[in-house]
Amino acid sequence: MQNTSINFKRQVTIKLADVKLQGALSRLQTRFVEGRAAVIGEINDLQETRTAAAAIRDRVLNDLEYWLLHFEQQAIARGAIVHWAETGADVNRIVAEIAARHGVRTAAKSKSMVSEECGLNDALELAGVEVMETDLGEYILQLAHEAPSHIVAPVVHKNMEEIADLFAEKHQLPRKTDIAELCREAREVLRPAFLNADMGISGGNFLLAETGSVLIVTNEGNGRLVTTLPRVHVAITGIEKVVPTLEDVTTLLRLLPRSATGQSITNYVSVLTGNKDSADHDGPEHFHIILLDNGRSSLLGSEMQEMLRCIRCGACMNHCPVYQNIGGHAYGWVYPGPMGSILTPLLGGLENAPDLPNASTLCGACAVVCPVKIPLPDLLRKLREKQMERGMKSRQETFMLKAWAWLALHPAIYAIATKIGVRLMRILGGKEKLLHHLPGARGWTDGRDFPAPAGMTFRELYKRGVHK
Amino acid sequence: MHVGLFVTCLVDTMRPRIGFATIKLLEAAGCEVIVPEQQTCCGQPGYNSGDRKSAEAMALKFLAEFEAFDYVVLPSGSCAGMIRVHYPDLFKDDPALLARITALGQRTYELTDFLVNIAKLKKVPGTFQGTLTYHDSCSGLRELDVYKQPRALLAKMPNVALHEMVESTTCCGFGGTFSVKYGELSTRMADNKCQHIAAAHAGAIVGGDLGCLLNIEGRLRRNGDHTTRVLHIAEVLSDSDLEAP
Amino acid sequence: MNARDKILSKIRNSQARTAAGSVAGTVAQTEMRDSYLALHPRGPLPPPLDNLVAGFKERAIKLSSDVMEASDSKDVPILLARYLSERKLPVSGVCWPSLAGLPWSTAGLDIQSRPAKNQDLVGVTGAFCAIAETGTLMMLSGPETPATTSLLPETHVAVLDPRRIVATMEDAWNLMRKEYKQPPRAVNFISGPSRTADIEQTVTLGAHGPYRVLLILAPL
Repeated sequence: MQNTSINFKRQVTIKLADVKLQGALSRLQTRFVEGRAAVIGEINDLQETRTAAAAIRDRVLNDLEYWLLHFEQQAIARGAIVHWAETGADVNRIVAEIAARHGVRTAAKSKSMVSEECGLNDALELAGVEVMETDLGEYILQLAHEAPSHIVAPVVHKNMEEIADLFAEKHQLPRKTDIAELCREAREVLRPAFLNADMGISGGNFLLAETGSVLIVTNEGNGRLVTTLPRVHVAITGIEKVVPTLEDVTTLLRLLPRSATGQSITNYVSVLTGNKDSADHDGPEHFHIILLDNGRSSLLGSEMQEMLRCIRCGACMNHCPVYQNIGGHAYGWVYPGPMGSILTPLLGGLENAPDLPNASTLCGACAVVCPVKIPLPDLLRKLREKQMERGMKSRQETFMLKAWAWLALHPAIYAIATKIGVRLMRILGGKEKLLHHLPGARGWTDGRDFPAPAGMTFRELYKRGVHK
Repeated sequence: MHVGLFVTCLVDTMRPRIGFATIKLLEAAGCEVIVPEQQTCCGQPGYNSGDRKSAEAMALKFLAEFEAFDYVVLPSGSCAGMIRVHYPDLFKDDPALLARITALGQRTYELTDFLVNIAKLKKVPGTFQGTLTYHDSCSGLRELDVYKQPRALLAKMPNVALHEMVESTTCCGFGGTFSVKYGELSTRMADNKCQHIAAAHAGAIVGGDLGCLLNIEGRLRRNGDHTTRVLHIAEVLSDSDLEAP
Repeated sequence: MNARDKILSKIRNSQARTAAGSVAGTVAQTEMRDSYLALHPRGPLPPPLDNLVAGFKERAIKLSSDVMEASDSKDVPILLARYLSERKLPVSGVCWPSLAGLPWSTAGLDIQSRPAKNQDLVGVTGAFCAIAETGTLMMLSGPETPATTSLLPETHVAVLDPRRIVATMEDAWNLMRKEYKQPPRAVNFISGPSRTADIEQTVTLGAHGPYRVLLILAPL
């Protein structure tokens, strides 16, 4: 997917003014925030479980080569073919080759954020393979030619009326008026796609090293259908998704659905190992697993490694007050919200997403809910440090920060400067004691007044003994 | 108890009476309060913007000025959080300094946390009458576990009716330089907070961090609300709200 | 160097950065990893349930499965017939071979023992075991236990022996390890009817998989 994060600020203006989007985003609070709160208490000791989950992810990340090779060995022993891809373009090439090798004309796809990273669908279309998204949200996006705006709820930004219009137009069927009818229509339109597809494409929530399996969590049944009916199954995911044992993945599964959608468990958890043997009635004859790097390996051993713990639950963006106000598209790439603000610069270049690490108050709401305890605000700050080191900050900002720091380290001059400053501001504030304009701070005063200071500093008043 | 007061740069420049209110409360709790003269800023604005160097320098200045005290108290969760949670990060490569900074950080408290858990203030001097609602500033809440403490103190005031607002723990949008750099976004977040405040039907919005309060007040007034009072918890607890700023 | 070598070499180089501090640099790695795999330790667990069957039923119902109970497996077809007629659903479908011997036709049902095709509207399966913690069925694919029977039809009926209800997914994995040498091609955990909330975050039952799941608890 093309990275347009450079347009973040402009997009913020647009999204804040988008009334329909704002209405849609308000649903996040009920469904996801309250949803998570309602079920997270089912976990006996949440903090202990989060600590265990973080430890499971760290065990792998600290020893990734071993666990990836163990996974590969087990998977191959069960008849899967394992491919390694350095970039998204490599993934696309590999899938196209697999399709060509097996005479694939149509593919049914269940949700994969990694495939969005790669821009897989477009590449396959160019290679002559018709790709049908089957996850309802992704299918809607495919019809609308839009990108997902959330990693778990891809069409959170659309309302029912828009979707009903879209279906009526694209399916050439009478316009439906309620959600159940729309779902039924999608089921009927897509069922043939499952039955006739030559190839099923899925992501992989986890890769199980112990058994060489790909694990996917779904609710709709499309994940099961695309990995059961077509004769070829291709699973694509990132190298960091490997988990050592069945018990480890079970610990993670206690946290993932609860953190993501407020479900105790997703409707389906599918653990797929190898291809069908001669006696099986269903299952793919050919099971291909593609492991994508795309910059992940460069995070290992760095101060950003913890970001690779991410299990793509979406809790961080659900609880982020910035995301809650602008939605996912403003972030400009596949991954939005706090995790996207870190991954996008890391995988796509800091110079292409300069706003993302800065468009945060570091409030920490994300870190509280992250099931694997990623220190998201700290990582955002580290990216800001990188920007500072590389001279990527604006001259104005760098000057202001240096000036403030210099003053703060020179108390006598600080005292004089602040005494002058507050008197000036007090005068500007007038009778109302409010400043409607602050030079150099339009970002504040365009939308807010600035309360006038008292007019004298605490330090000078204290020195005078005012309090005695 | 020998307490060093760090008023914070915002209180020093914008609302000195919060500093005096803090002194009053600490003395009511039986503390001897010293105000080191050369104090300026904890370094958070630079730190959060990615400037570790100046944050380090300010941390060293803080260490020199405050190390001698039994406790250091601040009328701000974000500055206290900077000192206790983030100063150690700046010195992780210098074990000797790290030990001193960490130890000092452990003795550094946000005001309400100190009054409730250390000084164990029994009686609150303030006589505030009326309804108020409380905004939980992010750093105090999530870095220092400040939530129950201000409410415990307000509960000691018989004529205070606390109307909890919906989403009291949601960020108000201040975030230091964020409030200027991402002004539209910050304003929207402030506006959301103002709507929750209005829905709480309280005569005053109270909080523990002046940055948040300036942000909230700025939006309230621009929205035409000139009646909801915006007060720091120290002012409410000590009747300093009755004095001239 | 192919992609695999390049990626592994990048990983190795990155890991070398933390060789000093990381787990990898300190202990005999092979032993640690082998013992970790062999022991496959469990993480934090929920508190034990007093009554597995009751706990399972409660959770299954919460997740929108329907639950019926029979004291004898030969009563299963009667219960199913009642369920289907109450909802005006078709009385024909397919079942797993292990259930072919139940008296379906006596109850007025036309249930054929074969894998499901797209046109089949009722699919009757057993289950490898069930998990009380979340009201979940564990299904292991195989020649006698095709995965499509619980997936293609609009109504999925699972006949479950209550003695095969375990407390947690960890217990379910252990049972699988005991009775199978290795996982089959597909292990599917099923927790109710298929569903989606993609439209306005409103949960709708019946997406691409079954619209309804009926669990009949009966000794087998």
